[in-house]
Amino acid sequence: MSSAIAIESEVAALIVEALHLEMTPEEIDPDAALFGEGLGLDSIDALEIALAVSRRYGFQLRSDDERNGQIFASLRNLAAHIDKNRVQ
Amino acid sequence: MPETIPLTDRAPGEIMFRRGAEAITIGRFLADVAALAASLPDRAYALNLCSDRYHALLGLAAAVSRGHVMLLSADRTERRLDEIAAAYPDLYVMTDGGIGPQPSGGWHPLAGAVQVEAMGQGQSGPSPEIPADRVAIIGFTSGSTGEPAAHPKPWGALVGATRAAAARFGFQGPEVTNLVATVPPQHMYGFETTMAMPLHAATASHDGPHFYPVEIAEALHAVPAPRVLITTPLQMRALLGSGEALPDLACVISATAPLAPELAAGAEAAWETEVLEIYGATEIGSIASRRTTEGDIWSLYDGIEFERDGEDAVLVSVPGMPCPVVLADAVAFEPDRRFRLLGRRADMVKLAGKRASLTSLNRLLLQVKGVEDGVFVAPEDLDINPAARLMVYAVAPDHSPAEILAALRGQVDPVFLPRRVVLVSSLPRNEIGKLTRHALDALRRQPVHEAE
Repeated sequence: MSSAIAIESEVAALIVEALHLEMTPEEIDPDAALFGEGLGLDSIDALEIALAVSRRYGFQLRSDDERNGQIFASLRNLAAHIDKNRVQ
Repeated sequence: MPETIPLTDRAPGEIMFRRGAEAITIGRFLADVAALAASLPDRAYALNLCSDRYHALLGLAAAVSRGHVMLLSADRTERRLDEIAAAYPDLYVMTDGGIGPQPSGGWHPLAGAVQVEAMGQGQSGPSPEIPADRVAIIGFTSGSTGEPAAHPKPWGALVGATRAAAARFGFQGPEVTNLVATVPPQHMYGFETTMAMPLHAATASHDGPHFYPVEIAEALHAVPAPRVLITTPLQMRALLGSGEALPDLACVISATAPLAPELAAGAEAAWETEVLEIYGATEIGSIASRRTTEGDIWSLYDGIEFERDGEDAVLVSVPGMPCPVVLADAVAFEPDRRFRLLGRRADMVKLAGKRASLTSLNRLLLQVKGVEDGVFVAPEDLDINPAARLMVYAVAPDHSPAEILAALRGQVDPVFLPRRVVLVSSLPRNEIGKLTRHALDALRRQPVHEAE
């Protein structure tokens, strides 16, 4: 398993756990949008994910990341962003 | 109440807004307002969609200066914006093309919208006198029929509410209190605290963005004391959980949903400050407050009056408002202008500071093609769990949960979209076709695989 895919499945598991989603991590399409049409997450979920990410990976998500890098555009983008910024 | 009240009664040199490191004085603000007001079209209604908080405030002040009514909608779904455009054909849109939710591309009134920007060309301007009985803003809620219910607020009522809140929270100067708010300016709570407040109380609003914990902490560190954090239970929980260090706070104010006493106590201990709660609603604005850790009794602001109307309804009179308004919650009166909340009256749900009626959500569900029967169900912990969400039970042969969810998007504000859509062969309606509370509870407690 490549490290990119490893972090993707790790982040997928984190999302499913943090948001109590009724699905398995494998069911999240890595390229589908997390918000809106894809997984259908909303701003409440964004805060929950931010909290889980800060606890697990030791860094804080920010609005300007979201704006520019579109980290929430997909699981793949979010995982890549976490991999780049994690401090633990 | 006087016949007119100025746009602002503060001195030109006082700071009223902070954008990053830039401090904006009342004089500079009034110059920006005059420039924008001169560029507005001759129409009666302004729909303010600015996402930058300072731009939103400029839009309000310019519209009020011109005698236009500002339309305030926290709901940005295409359906709601279409409804507003249909109800106010004479409206124009104010936008700043900034970040944040915007209506989807094809929305027609956006063509020809007024672009709001800070002109930055002067250090003084007039503070126009506004008739106290003239409607300044209209807020919207989802009425039980599903149509948006409009709640007009006269200028005098708006300023009166601001002054009552400023007295309650000690924003009376001469020192300017810096307000960092995590709530958007188009939500009534964010509007009152960060748009109306700096016009008539010794406060300065900070621009933002303040959504994630690290941003809230940075904004608080960036402003001088005294500072106040204006937030919601959801964001307070995230901020506390993040462990971000905060500077000295004069107080923390929470609203939009009941704050759990444990969360309030945790925040008071971690940040060494008082956590205060505001109670209010879009129809009436904020009307009462409490310190959460001192118990469940709320104190009415000066000037607000309660009157019982029938068995469980309460009429609220707000100074400057033409007639009393029915409260969405049931309350028990206590002595000394105090009360306890007994929970929301049936049918209303509140999530992320927004309210919807289950009846209107159910109506939208039944309009989905292929849905023969269906119902939105609120979890039992909706009022105390900030992350709780609705679910849907639907009878829809030949349709998948994903298809039903997709059809609801654009119709329903995202926070009210069901977290789960469960397909069933029939709903447990009684002999007269009603879904009783008891039957819904039984349905909800069933394991999902049995319901399917």
